[in-house]
Formats: sequence, C-alpha cells, structure tokens
Amino acid sequence: MSAAKIAVEGVSKQFDLGGNPVRALARVDLSISEGEFVSIVGPSGCGKTTLLCMLGGFIATDSGRMLVDGRPITGPGIDRGVVFQEYALFPWLTVFDNIAYGLREKRMPERDVCITAQRYIALIGLSGFERRFPRELSGGMKQRVALARTFAYEPGILLLDEPFGALDAQTREIMQDELLRLCGATRKTVIMVTHDVNEAVYLSDRVCVMSHRPGRIVKEFTIDLDRNANREQVVLSQAYTSIRNAVWLAVRQQVTLHPSHDP
Amino acid sequence: MTAAPVTPLRMLSRLLPFVLFLVAWEAMAKSGLIDPRFLPPVEKVASALVDLGASQSFYTDLAVTFGRALGGLALGAAIGIPIGAGMAVSPAIDGFFGPLVKATYSLPKTALIPLLILWLGIGSATNIVAVMLSTLLPFVVYTYHGIAGVPRILVWSARAMGVPPRRLLWKVMLPAAQHAIFTSLRIALGFSFVIAIAAEMIAAHSGIGKLMFIYGESGSYDYMFAAVAAIVALAYVADRITVGLSNRLLRWDDIENRLG
Amino acid sequence: MRTIGASLLRALASAYPLILIAVVWEAVARAGLVRPVFLPPLSTVIAQLVPLAKDGEVVAPLAISLYRTAAGLAIAVTAGVCFGLLMARIRLVRWLLDPLIAFSFPSPKIAFLPVFILWFGIDHLSKIALVAFTCVFPFIVAAYAGATTVPTNQLWAARAMGTGNLPLLWRVILPASLPSLMSGLRVGVPYALVSTFTAEMIAGGGGLGSEMMLAQRYFETPTVFVYLLIMLAAGYLIDIGVLRLREHILRWHEE
Repeated sequence: MSAAKIAVEGVSKQFDLGGNPVRALARVDLSISEGEFVSIVGPSGCGKTTLLCMLGGFIATDSGRMLVDGRPITGPGIDRGVVFQEYALFPWLTVFDNIAYGLREKRMPERDVCITAQRYIALIGLSGFERRFPRELSGGMKQRVALARTFAYEPGILLLDEPFGALDAQTREIMQDELLRLCGATRKTVIMVTHDVNEAVYLSDRVCVMSHRPGRIVKEFTIDLDRNANREQVVLSQAYTSIRNAVWLAVRQQVTLHPSHDP
Repeated sequence: MTAAPVTPLRMLSRLLPFVLFLVAWEAMAKSGLIDPRFLPPVEKVASALVDLGASQSFYTDLAVTFGRALGGLALGAAIGIPIGAGMAVSPAIDGFFGPLVKATYSLPKTALIPLLILWLGIGSATNIVAVMLSTLLPFVVYTYHGIAGVPRILVWSARAMGVPPRRLLWKVMLPAAQHAIFTSLRIALGFSFVIAIAAEMIAAHSGIGKLMFIYGESGSYDYMFAAVAAIVALAYVADRITVGLSNRLLRWDDIENRLG
Repeated sequence: MRTIGASLLRALASAYPLILIAVVWEAVARAGLVRPVFLPPLSTVIAQLVPLAKDGEVVAPLAISLYRTAAGLAIAVTAGVCFGLLMARIRLVRWLLDPLIAFSFPSPKIAFLPVFILWFGIDHLSKIALVAFTCVFPFIVAAYAGATTVPTNQLWAARAMGTGNLPLLWRVILPASLPSLMSGLRVGVPYALVSTFTAEMIAGGGGLGSEMMLAQRYFETPTVFVYLLIMLAAGYLIDIGVLRLREHILRWHEE
C-alpha cells in the first residue's frame, strides 16, 4: 500500500478569542492518497476552514501531526496551492500579472512566464482580459483568475476553501465543470472545503463529514460516479442522488445534534 | 472592545523607549563625535528645564503664547462653525463660501503673516488673527461635513414630529455633528500652536517662540533644547485633555439622548 | 459651441464670490478708502508681477522653495514608509517607536526649527530637515495603517506561492498600502509647502518665504501680495498634481 500523500494524525487546535478558549478541532484524523479529490463538509463553524489553513501551513497545530509525503508541514509552500473563497487576487496587478505571480516566484524565464500565463488565460476563457484589473471583473471571472493563478505554477496539491461560495448558482455550476476540466489533465491531489453537499458529491472521489465544533471527521463516503458523463446525466442519476442524500443526512445530523450553538 | 488593562507593567513598558531615547542622546552627546554645543548632554538640558520651571518669565511667555493660540482658536470656532453649519443647510450660503473655501484651501496660512504684520504690526493682534485664519478652515469644513452628513432619515423624522427648521439645526443637526466638530477642535488646536509659535518666531516681542530664538541667538542651547522639550510635553498634555474632554462630553450626550 | 460657452458661464458663475471680492478690492483700493501701503489695487499687484519676474525674483526663489519641499518630502516618504512598514511587521520596532511617535505627534514641529538651524545653518538643509521631520509623521501613520489592513488571504496567497517574509514587504504589503500612502501624500504635501515657506520667513536664506519677509520689511506691499498669490497658485497646482498622480497610481483601486 502506497503511503498517503497527505496524513493528518490526531490534530487538535484551540483559539483564544478575547480570553475565551474556543476548541476548533479535536483529534482530527485524515488520510489522502495521491490524485484523490477529497471534499470536507460539515456544519458552519465546525473547523473545516481551520483544517485547510493548517494544511496550507498558515496556522500551526496545537497537537498531532500533519505530513505531506511523509514530511511535517512547517509553513506555506509551493507544493500546496491555495484558492481562497474571496479570491485573494492582488488588486494592483493585472489579470496577466496575477496569474504570472507564482511563475515569477519560481524564477521562470520571462518568456516562459508569458507563454504559460497566456495559455492559462486562454484556458479559463479570459483572452483579451490580460490587462484588466480585478476590480473590472465579475465574481466568476475573478474566481477563474484565482484558479488559474494557482494552477499555473502546478503545485502537486490543491487546497480549495469554498472556492465557489461567493458565486451565484449558475456560475457555480459552470465553475465546477471548469475545475474538473483543469484538474482532469493532471492528476492533482485536491482537498476542497465546502458547505454545498451537492457540489462535494459532484466533484469528489471521497467526501468527509466533519462533526460540529470541536470538529473531527465522523463519516466518510466514497464516491464512484461516471465522470465521463455530462452534468445532466450525473446529477439526475440514481447513484448521485442516493449518495448525495446520504451525505446530506450525515451533515444534517451534525447540525441538529447541537441546535443551540451559534454558527 | 476590550482594551488591555493599564497595569504598572504596561506603563513601564511604554516609558522604556523614552528612557532608551535619552540614553542614546546621552551617548551621542558624550561620544565626542558631535560638537557639544550642538547637542548638550541630557543632564544640562534637564537642569535648564528645572530652571525654566522655576522661572516666572518662562510661565509668562508660555501664557502669552497659549493665550494667543486659544484666543485665535476660539475666534476661529466662533466664526467657522456657524459658517460651516450655514453652508450645510443653505445652498445660497454654500454658493458663496464654497468657492472661497476651495480657493484658500491650498494657501499656506502662514503666508498671511507678513501681510498681517503690515496691517496690524508686530504683536498679539497679528498672532491671534493668524491663528484664527488658520483654524477657520478646519472648523468650516468639518462642521459642514458633519452636518451635511447627518442622515436624511433623522432630519425627516424630526420634521415629521413637527420640529420647526431653526430648532432642527440646534436639536438634531448640531448634536449629530458634534463628533465632527470635536475632531476639528483637536486638529485646530494643533494648528493653533504651530501658527502661534511660528508667528512669534517670524516677528514678535514676546512669547515662547521668540524666547527660543533669543536662547538660540545668545548661545544658551541647553535652555533652547529645554524650551523645545517643554513645548512638546505641553502640546501632548493639551491634546490629551482635549481628547478626554471630547470623549466625556460626547458620552454624556449619548446617555442624555438615550434617556431623554 | 454653445455648450462650451454655457459651461464656461457656469464655471464663472460658481466662482462669483471670488470675482466679487476682486471687484470690491479694486474698487475700495482705487477709491482711496484705504492707504495703498495697506491695500494696493489688485491691478497694481498683478502688474507688479512683471518687473519682479524680470529681476529674477520670482522663478529663482520659487525654485529654491520647491527644491527644499521636494527634498524634504522625499526623505519623509522614504523614512515614513520604512518606519511604518517595519512597525507593522516587527513587534519590537512597534514597541520602540509607537510611544515616541504618539508623544511627538501633537507637538508643533516648528518648535524644532531653532534646533535645526543650530545644526544645519540657515541655508537649504535646515529647511529640508524641518520639512522631513514635520511630514514623516503622516507617512508613518499611513504606511502603518496600510500595512496592517492588508487582507490576510492576500498575504497567505503570496506565501503559498513562495514569497518569503522579507520580499512580502515590497511585493505585497507596499503595493497594497498604496491607497493609504496616497492619502498620506495628500496631507503631507501641503504640510511640506507650509513648513518650507514658514521656515524661510523665520530664518531667511532664500526662497519665497524669505523674499516675502524682505518685501514686508521694506513695505513693498504689492510685492508681498504677489508672493502670496504665487504661494497660493503653487499650492493649488501642486495639489492638482498630487490628485492626478493619485488617479494614475491607484487606477486599479476600487473606490
């Protein structure tokens, strides 16, 4: 059995908010293989974003270990690309410069930077928008740039924090297919945090359900859908519906277990 | 918002940088790198400061400068706040004063001092008028924005309750603009000190600005440094008092509004 | 054609208080209601501009004043941004500088002019030092405010893409702070001009301020007015320049 690409072992985290300790995560265990697309779902405030930020190396663990390729995570790194919910585009850079940012950090020769960036701009369908600033873009366009920016320098692992949360329903569906397409060619390891169960089931190989705060993984669902089929076929299929219902129920149970807690 | 408690340890921590500053000063002065006339050692300045603290004429000079600054400030407020309020409520008044404000915005008010000397001679009149002119603009602009920014809904509901227009200004708009007016007070206070001292340095027979130049010209540099230190400290205290007073007054009004 | 005329008329109409004042000024002065040494006619003032310019007493002093202002500003911006950014990122620097800055913030910086004259004489350097010292404060505040309000996600995104802690300062924090810095510039530039003119009035050593004081001492009132108007014009044009600069530098900014 090949070693897990990402291993989370007994990770706990506590925050001190104005003197009140808040336990965000309690002994989370998770194992992700190379090339897997894993979604983490759960009630609001369960700590899934915290977990993702820890995987990104932005927040340290209190206890437990997080390993990538067997080595502990000590900070952010170019092996783990992150896409944030609010895009986190650099507003003073053009679309082109935003996408080129990671490439330039890698000290790629400028000519290759140009070629690669242009390729991704075309890939996300924003040719002609190279010189635009983020403030001139719609939410969907910004999200596409954010995805392209992270994909362009080809990190082996992708961490997505509710990447489509701020988009309307139709745009969200388009972007989900876009993501699948971008991921399709190169088998990247993807961890996505989302509150949208439909989205999680549609995109992932595996869905992990997190408990209410303090969070830990309580249930895992393996998804086996025919990814070659188009969206209509998948979403309307019996297989999708039954898994989706099961996942939704699992999350719902976590929500109703603690009705008085604030989100 | 929970602020960290002001413990003795915290106060000490905030004072330490000043101590380090003084240590660095002393080191520089004693190091021999600099002519000792240019940077008197800390103890000499400190003893000069003590001397000043015991000297009646120093307090007189301070009082003169403060008086000019506060006098000009009061005049500036008395004229500026009504103008700002008028501009906010009357388009005609705004039409007249608006362009004037815009035109004089970029004028450094100290540029008027030579003119004032021509008109009023060297003395307190020039200083007070100079201070008044330089504090006018902050009062006008902040009062204007404070009142013009009062949410329409407040004005409309007051009108609906039958409040006549004149009382509207007093009862609704001025209280709502209080915050802006107190902010302009703080800024104008800063201006008033600068202009009062600058005017004295340019031409005056008395006051702390003049005093500093006398010390400079007579070579009593430790007294000069001491006077600067005294001014810095006093300005800080004055600013703190203004902020404290404003907070106190604003808070009372909030409570009053809530109860009344 | 008609719209140009109409908009010109409208511009003139909105400036009517200024025109009114100019007319009243001229009328009062010409009518002899005030002695010309106190209030020369506006026309005389404007006419005075020509001989002054011919004698080289306009451009040269203006250039001197502007040079001192620019040099002082350059120092203030550089030092202010460095201090502000460092204070935002390194706790020790913040602990060291914050009390000192807060204490000297309300003080009239002009009070330090005698010290600067002692150190640097009455030529350019003391004026530049005063400008730098006066104007560094708004830039420290602006840089600090800008640096501490950069969205954490942007910092994290940059670090995830391989930006180290130090390059983060100029690759992300500095550009993200530009809006705040430009606001600081809008405040700092007028301060700089005022400080230069005032220091020149007090200490002499060339420049518009000292020329103005000289004219006052010889009771050359029209000349005093000319310099006053030049200072006004300089302040106005520079402010417009700063606004244009701001528009260009912040063209990416969501207003």
